[in-house]
Amino acid sequence: MIAKPVILRHLNKLRWLVLTSIFLMLVLLPFIHLYQTYVAAHAYDLLYPNEKLIYDSMEWLTAPFVSDAEHDLDVIKGTTWSGNLFGLQISDPLAVLSQISASLSIYWPFVLTALVPLVVTAVLGRVFCGWICPATFIYELNDTLAGWLRRAGVPLGDKEFDKRTKYLVLAVGLVLSMLLGSVVTAAIYPPAIIGRELYYAIAQGGFGVGAVFFILTILFDLLVARRGFCRYVCAGGALYSLLGRYRLLRIQRVVSQCNDCKKCNVVCEFGLDPLQDGFGQECNNCTACIAVCPTDALEFRIAIKDIPYQGPGHLGQTYRRAEKAEAES
Amino acid sequence: MRRRAFLKRFGAYAALIFAAATPYGLVRLLAPKVYADPHRHIPLPGALPDIDAFNRACIGCGLCGEVCPPRCVEFEKREGADGLNTPYIDPAKKACILCNKCMEVCPTDALTITPIREIDMGIAQIDRAACYPWVGEGICGACVAICPLGEEAIGFEFANIYKPAVREGCVGCGQCVEVCPEPSLPIWIVNRSEGTVAKHGVAARRRSY
Repeated sequence: MIAKPVILRHLNKLRWLVLTSIFLMLVLLPFIHLYQTYVAAHAYDLLYPNEKLIYDSMEWLTAPFVSDAEHDLDVIKGTTWSGNLFGLQISDPLAVLSQISASLSIYWPFVLTALVPLVVTAVLGRVFCGWICPATFIYELNDTLAGWLRRAGVPLGDKEFDKRTKYLVLAVGLVLSMLLGSVVTAAIYPPAIIGRELYYAIAQGGFGVGAVFFILTILFDLLVARRGFCRYVCAGGALYSLLGRYRLLRIQRVVSQCNDCKKCNVVCEFGLDPLQDGFGQECNNCTACIAVCPTDALEFRIAIKDIPYQGPGHLGQTYRRAEKAEAES
Repeated sequence: MRRRAFLKRFGAYAALIFAAATPYGLVRLLAPKVYADPHRHIPLPGALPDIDAFNRACIGCGLCGEVCPPRCVEFEKREGADGLNTPYIDPAKKACILCNKCMEVCPTDALTITPIREIDMGIAQIDRAACYPWVGEGICGACVAICPLGEEAIGFEFANIYKPAVREGCVGCGQCVEVCPEPSLPIWIVNRSEGTVAKHGVAARRRSY
């Protein structure tokens, strides 16, 4: 038995920290832009009291880092759909793919902005979904809420659909982009919607139509299928699943440590089956199953494929009974 | 029996395709196509000249809006189906200052970096039946004073001092529109082909944007 690094058990907390900070960043950026426009206009004396509050708090937050707020704060801009990070342009692969199919031409400077996410997904799998996506932040909170409601006795939907539906959504989205001549996938892709709608709501005076769609997805998750949008509908998730199919880093079960308690299956937001080694391309390496495992039977390994079903866990009842029967016979 | 299985499978796939297309359909339904007032809906600097090509190229990331110092970039939030989340400028609210930031930040070719004098957002058009100096209601010249391009874009008519006239060098940034004190806004941004002086009549007011 190899001693397992303790950090593995705390990766899920780290993931929550990352998710929270990215979401807060998306809330902060529109305020920063408001502040920048006020600075550019030299308009402090003309601002309303609430705008002055924004100005003052943003000045307090950013003053230690920048000297020229109007220009220096441009280093982080955008959303997870497409953004600028200290001079590095990063775009969602779905944005690139949809734009190519909408315009039927390839604009290389834009395609190259998706290089970082492509490489990261090829190595680490669907980590965008589990570690970065601002919609995941809300959907997981929504799932926690659903758990409380269930415990309180409120009947909520827990239907299961075909997981391949999302690949169809992706395909239909790309074909429709081509036919309609506009990037329609952006309109139904929650991370893009969230970044955009937060900007609209904070800096542009009102939510757009995307907010309605996002609320519908939350209700779908709550009333129809647990984490249903990510599991069955999300076009971007489908693309990340395909890209991360042969990821190098994947969670695997150590059968000699497993006691068949099934906690990993219950906690898995994507409805996967770690108990029977069923991770597949949908696993987003979120580490929730690792965190919940009482016997440390799940760990990261470097492998291109999942291991086939290894049988019941060696610490479990089923295995010991079978072993005993074999010894007696 | 084989035919029944085939029909079953066919039905299942049809239902699946329908389910997959439903979100898009919802979006289309929620965002019906409406035609904006062309005077209050002008393209961004450096935008692809054809509005359809622009919609094909734009991914709706909102970066152009997020870097705009005067915050003049607005988005099709609730209206416009093909152009959902695409940017435009309403010069009567807030005009472009030709700072180039949106062109530099745009990840796609929807906005491309263009020298200031080659930008074509349209051209300012003056309605001489409504402009204060042109109808003899005193002197103004606010539009001339604020123009970032100066004499080559807008100046005073020769021997008609304080009566503004738009020149061919105008790129359509709309600062004159924003600053105009006359409530009826006698100055607009229009397509270059429509000329710099408003012709009265129904047809002259329409623009293909």
